[in-house]
Amino acid sequence: MLVALLTTMMLVAVGQIIMREAFGTGFAWADELVRLIVLWLALVGSIAACRENRHIRIDALSHVLPDNVVKAIRVFVDLFAAAVCAVVAVQAWRYLQIEIEYEDTVLVNTPAWIAHVIMPAAFGLISYRFLLGALKQLGALLFGSIAETEK
Amino acid sequence: MIIFSIILALLAILGAPLFAVIAASAMLGFQSQESDLMIMAIEIQSIASMPFLAAIPLFTFAGYLLSESNAPKRLVRLTGAMLGWMPGGLAIVCLAACAFFTAFTGASGVTIIALGAILYPALKQDGYGDKFNLGLVTSAGSLGLLFAPSLPLILYGVIAEVSIDNLFLAGILPGLLMLVMLSGYSLWVNRGIRKPLSSFSLAEVGAALREAIWELPLPVVVLGGIYSGFFAVSEAAAITALYVLIVEVLVLREIPLRELPRIMRSSMVLVGGILVILSVSVASTSYMIDADVPQRLFEIVQSLVSSQTTFLIVLLIFLLILGAILDIFSAIVLVVPLILPIAAGYGVDEVHLGIVFLAAMQLGYLTPPVGLNLFIASYRFEKPIMHVYSATFPFLIILMLSVILITFFPQLSLFFLSD
Repeated sequence: MLVALLTTMMLVAVGQIIMREAFGTGFAWADELVRLIVLWLALVGSIAACRENRHIRIDALSHVLPDNVVKAIRVFVDLFAAAVCAVVAVQAWRYLQIEIEYEDTVLVNTPAWIAHVIMPAAFGLISYRFLLGALKQLGALLFGSIAETEK
Repeated sequence: MIIFSIILALLAILGAPLFAVIAASAMLGFQSQESDLMIMAIEIQSIASMPFLAAIPLFTFAGYLLSESNAPKRLVRLTGAMLGWMPGGLAIVCLAACAFFTAFTGASGVTIIALGAILYPALKQDGYGDKFNLGLVTSAGSLGLLFAPSLPLILYGVIAEVSIDNLFLAGILPGLLMLVMLSGYSLWVNRGIRKPLSSFSLAEVGAALREAIWELPLPVVVLGGIYSGFFAVSEAAAITALYVLIVEVLVLREIPLRELPRIMRSSMVLVGGILVILSVSVASTSYMIDADVPQRLFEIVQSLVSSQTTFLIVLLIFLLILGAILDIFSAIVLVVPLILPIAAGYGVDEVHLGIVFLAAMQLGYLTPPVGLNLFIASYRFEKPIMHVYSATFPFLIILMLSVILITFFPQLSLFFLSD
């Protein structure tokens, strides 16, 4: 998906330059399409950043605190992130309903909700990923410490 | 409200993803104004209406591609051929090549990994001290942030609504100043060695040029295209990305086609991380402007600080601390909208502010305890982190001096903008 988005963006943007320089015209929708792709890239990239644990954080503490404490804190802050993203997803979903109702359009005459459906979808998925990650981590922590005491 | 802010700040320090903290603070803000939270969606969606933003994913992708190919090797050979005849040549080659590479890749960690791996052993072989080499490579890794078309410059332009072309011009002299001061220091430290890397040979320059023939048009196309007004920054980025893709994958075949999805993916993960912070910051900024936060901050600052000079000193100290805890992209997105009106109140030019901001944040890459470059270098060269701290320290001092010069001599950044 990321690959397809990035490739389309490159081709549309370069195509637009060629059109302008060679024929003195361009497509009205091309600029808007590139910008919408930026939105999609941002959100899809952000879902991927979740999976690879590459979201930007202040990680100064993880260099000084003991490993288990860091992991416990991680569970806590990721649950927080999951909750925040869930709220954003719900709000974006409500916004989408209104766009459908008013029949807003982008790209000449495409319904706007098709372009914006990525917002609730992405934040929903990010929330789910954080929740899953936190629960897994929590399980590992509890299970790990039980295994240690049994020894 | 204050309690919530403290809790959020705590969460951020504990390592909560920054975008979630910012989103939460924006939503709390909107809630307190009794706005419909649906506004979040509208704010996030507004990154689809910012001009030039497409430049960020495109340049990032081009940078990732370049660093995976053999381009870094060719770049070192070319700079070596052109600058190696000077005494202490290799150290200067290292600084120049890193600056150039960082400008084109933007995200600074890549430079240390791509170029450091070639330069660090080469420096050692040439008889430079180990500690000097470590410090040099680590600090060179963030040099070049001020040269076009680095991502932080573009991002500042987008956020501050300043002409990106002007920022590119403004970065030239301050960037060169940093380069020259570090080169001077390297020459002075190694005055005992004074060994030129090689004698100047036209044949070697020619050979290196021939080898790099495919990459050579890049700076010309990007910078020439932008400055001549032939195309906008985002268009230059699209051309760069497509051109690099064709050259490295199809012409030179240094990157196999099956590797391409992985490179695209990992560059877009970085972009996603940056842009999602940008999108939620748009929301928190618009709340703060609604609530008159910049205005109130300005009044507080004004009651404490009277002259422009004092303001710049305070700003510099603030930015150095900020740079030590926040990465450069989040800092630009979060802090620039707040300090821009304050700086304007003291008559600081917004282009100059951008250069000062980035120069100070660049130091943040090297400031203990959490500078990013320090960790990358420690990891990459397998040295204890304390060792990297002390090796980098003299370079940090030199860079700090240059940042002070840049801050208090706006002529440096505004030299090419006199009209």
